[in-house]
Amino acid sequence: MSVIPLTEDQRDAMQEITNVAMGQAGAMLATLLGTFVTLSVPRINVLALTEVPPAIGEMVGRDIEVTAVRQSFQGYLQGEAIVIYDQDGCKELGDLMGYDEALDRTDELELLLDVSNIIVGACLGGIIEQINNLTAEKVAGKLNFSAPSLMAEGVPAEKLINPEKLTWSYALLLEVNFKLEGRNFASHLCTLMSEQSIVKMKGILDEFIASF
Amino acid sequence: MPTPILVVDDSAMARKVLIRSLPTSWDVEITQAANGEEALVAYRAGKADVMFLDLQMPVLDGYGVLEALQKEGLNSFVFVVSADIQPLAQERVKKLGAMAFVKKPVTTEVIEAVLKQYGVIL
Repeated sequence: MSVIPLTEDQRDAMQEITNVAMGQAGAMLATLLGTFVTLSVPRINVLALTEVPPAIGEMVGRDIEVTAVRQSFQGYLQGEAIVIYDQDGCKELGDLMGYDEALDRTDELELLLDVSNIIVGACLGGIIEQINNLTAEKVAGKLNFSAPSLMAEGVPAEKLINPEKLTWSYALLLEVNFKLEGRNFASHLCTLMSEQSIVKMKGILDEFIASF
Repeated sequence: MPTPILVVDDSAMARKVLIRSLPTSWDVEITQAANGEEALVAYRAGKADVMFLDLQMPVLDGYGVLEALQKEGLNSFVFVVSADIQPLAQERVKKLGAMAFVKKPVTTEVIEAVLKQYGVIL
């Protein structure tokens, strides 16, 4: 399938939709962790799959080791959502949640999966909600998510994704990040959408642009 | 005379949505800015009796704009328009001199109501 990159207007619209969605995720995270969350300007790009790993390395930072949780999603849009934490951030989560003692491995992992699930659900849910609000027949319905699972631990961000494991040649990469004020904790959400989803999304973005 | 208003957002679509949401009866002269620095330039040129200000922007963000305006002696009705719905974000922008906080995505009804509430339009 040949994929045409997003036009400047489409990229701009996607960025704004993502911004609104991440605002909801940020508010949930702030409530959960009891602290102020700083939101980023979303980064949006259509890339050949081979360009995705270095792009993620660039966004998250080179030479740092990360822990990542992944969830796949199916439905109107299809792809992979990856939440990336640096090693210190992971350790800080227990403290943020108000646990007095250091968490054991199992509890720490569970917490990481829960937080990832919230970020992914709120961000992608927010995007879907806006698509549904735009279209009279609510075309996007509801996404199905796989259970979050630990993807990698202590690896460089640019090595997280093995392009050979995905069957597409191009992906729509959305990156947003959440930083906690006065803390080392930062997490990145990188969403990869399939070529089929890119085609659908481009149509939706054109509708968005035309509706205003 | 038309009221000079400034619409600040890094997204062209967000600016368009906001401009379309303004009451049609309101006589305005609209200037747009894509980041905080452009906003300050327009403000200093007298283009912003009323300002609609996004928070997350490259170069200089909305908080930076509010801080700069405070230093220069805030002389504009600033409405922050943002997707950041944390209660603390709203508290902070009000402390920095913003009139009110409007949640994205905006609608005509909400913009009109907030403009009336603060006496910007009748």
